[in-house]
Amino acid sequence: MKIVITGAGIVSAIGVGKAETLVSLREQRSGIRPLCYLKTDHHEFPVGEVQLSNGEMCAMLGIDPSKQPTTRTALMGMVALKEALEQAQLIDSKTQKLKDPETFPLISGTTVGGMDKSELYYLDFLDNDSRNEYISTHDCGACTEMIADHFGRFSMLSTLSTACSSAANAVILGAEILRSGQVECVVVGGSECITKFHLNGFASLMILDKEPCRPFDESRAGLNLGEGAAWLVLETEDHARRRNATPIARLAGYGNACDAFHQTATSADGEGPYLAMKQALKSAGITPVQVDYINAHGTGTGNNDISESTAIRRLFGEQVPPVSSTKAFTGHTTSASGTIEAVICLLAMQHSFLPVNLRFNKAGDCLTPVHDNTTKPLRYVLSNAFGFGGNDSALLFEKVEERKSGRVEDEKKKKVYLLSAVQISAQEPLSEAWKDNPIPLTEPLTRSREADYKQFIPPLEARRMGRILKRAIATARTATAQAGIDTPEAIITGTGLGCIENTEIFLDALCRQGEDQMMPTRFMQSTHNTISSIVAINLKAHGYNATYAHNTVSFQSALLDAMLQLRRGAICNALVCAHDEMTPSYHALLCKGGYLKDKHATECAVSMMLSTKDNGHALCEVADMRILYRPSEAEKQRARKELGDVSYFGSTEPIFGTSYTAPSLDLYAAAHTMKDKPVAVEYSDDKYYTLILLRPCSVS
Amino acid sequence: MEELILKLKKEIIEVLNLEDVKPEDIDSNAPLFGAEGLGLDSIDALELIVLMEKNYGIKLQDPNQGKEIFKSINVMADYISKNRTK
Repeated sequence: MKIVITGAGIVSAIGVGKAETLVSLREQRSGIRPLCYLKTDHHEFPVGEVQLSNGEMCAMLGIDPSKQPTTRTALMGMVALKEALEQAQLIDSKTQKLKDPETFPLISGTTVGGMDKSELYYLDFLDNDSRNEYISTHDCGACTEMIADHFGRFSMLSTLSTACSSAANAVILGAEILRSGQVECVVVGGSECITKFHLNGFASLMILDKEPCRPFDESRAGLNLGEGAAWLVLETEDHARRRNATPIARLAGYGNACDAFHQTATSADGEGPYLAMKQALKSAGITPVQVDYINAHGTGTGNNDISESTAIRRLFGEQVPPVSSTKAFTGHTTSASGTIEAVICLLAMQHSFLPVNLRFNKAGDCLTPVHDNTTKPLRYVLSNAFGFGGNDSALLFEKVEERKSGRVEDEKKKKVYLLSAVQISAQEPLSEAWKDNPIPLTEPLTRSREADYKQFIPPLEARRMGRILKRAIATARTATAQAGIDTPEAIITGTGLGCIENTEIFLDALCRQGEDQMMPTRFMQSTHNTISSIVAINLKAHGYNATYAHNTVSFQSALLDAMLQLRRGAICNALVCAHDEMTPSYHALLCKGGYLKDKHATECAVSMMLSTKDNGHALCEVADMRILYRPSEAEKQRARKELGDVSYFGSTEPIFGTSYTAPSLDLYAAAHTMKDKPVAVEYSDDKYYTLILLRPCSVS
Repeated sequence: MEELILKLKKEIIEVLNLEDVKPEDIDSNAPLFGAEGLGLDSIDALELIVLMEKNYGIKLQDPNQGKEIFKSINVMADYISKNRTK
């Protein structure tokens, strides 16, 4: 199947929209400036801010901020998405709403989510009721909902949160959804604003340069933070042709790998980046010499640029194509960088030029990047995005050429078996005692048991892991051992709030004690993808690695990602995890924000191994699934009908309590109790409806 | 100096959360980083930079300085005694 890009939108420090961005790139106008929009004490760090205030963006979008809570990440996301949808002609030019009945999925990438407002109002959240409407805009999924809802209704939403590779991974999930044949068009991208939270966090890691950054230069001394958003409309070539949409380029391949080395540093041999780029080329069926340009991750830190240079040299040998980092223009736009740089690549392809690596003077150990204006026809372009935790991804784009349609690949769908599923909750850990003697839930918040982790985690590593990480490793190790698989080919985690304990400690200190609190360990463990990546380090797993943070469908998103890759045979097995922790004060906030109401809240730790091979002990087959966003009753009925004659398994909330990832416990319970009939695990709330079809292994 | 070394060991154990390690377990001459010594990493180095600033008023601007200063407890104590402002 050929995937084409028919719409692209971008906003960053070098312009609002593709036209301004192109001018800045060609005229070498950097967007790195002194801080202007973010209110912070750290004026020593130059940044790449989008040159629009929140008020200006609201005005552009026709939003009344007094009536609708908004965050900067969401507003930038809407501004860029509008451009992409307009170019792809998916929205009505007058109403700015999606043309009915074209509803399709939207996949976003963000890590910051609504942190810009959380860090402003955190003390109000705790002390009074003046800003309660912003409590529920904190999480990443809420940010995606705000962006999407501005244009009408998308059929499914999800959010990747793999730190600085989030948007690149959103592109990959979008492509996988298209390849499954379920839909023919999907919108993918990412958005991230600069916050005090991560500005201080990066400062505590001592990787911010006080001068404009100099990627790949011998004198490089760190990165400059940037912000922005960018989106791509991906669709099948056939779909684009049928509706007369003009392809800008083709998504020819992609790769995702895990460095599995360290939370914040890349390995010296650049294993993760090397594997991701190699896989991108392999999936496109091209050789290294065919690549005409690499848009590097190139942050400007000592560590990234040398290890990325090493990885590129390993893959391309003597024939390294032209390389540049455009972060000297935009700053490091973190979670959005994957698609921001993808759009820059598309502009370079369309206009046949190599973006310059600004401020390069002298090569040290690193590659020598493009440092002069160069005109060059580009056919294949590779774009790298690497994140904390070694979440490394690469996207490969190809210039569209007029030619006859290729053959339609008939990809045979493989069966997927659930080999093991384990949990640590308030109920008996890693056992099935919950079935007969569940512990009654009496407290408003029941925290999970501590994991028995010492057999799995060396003391030197365990000492700085929070409870959620210890439970993640303990369940992962047990699930993989039960399945008889040492190193899973993919590790995919769903988490509503990620490592909220560390996030809260960092935020609390920032708000109460000011911006001179240096807490590198806390910050390092505040990103959502810490969970998947720490499991990868423990299991030495260099394969596909991703984290979803989309409130109540975080786990279902992770499962969907695994299912798509397993069913088409891209991988043979996957570890799928669901983790949420809760602190008493954050619990109080969620109750106040209206999410939990009077429900019993708990924590969640579930790990399960899925495989395309039944080892003879599989619990069941995971046959199919659906994630629907704001479906009508008719759409729900249709989804149920498509699954056939099955019995329905509802919520286990009375036993386990509720958390964002509680649907994983429903699946766990259903798999352990089902008999010889197919069961559909059904989840429903005011926004989402999900179904997961389980079949007993004996029934074919 | 002995007093400072003991104090420093206690502070390091606390700030780096070195469970089950006692001050007498740390050889004052052994390297703090890498497999031969305590096995600390780059994030620990950052925490030590924070410790130096908070407890001794020493502000390091460049994390690379840490490589020399954090060679061993003895080297670190020596640096602190010469440069402390509190």
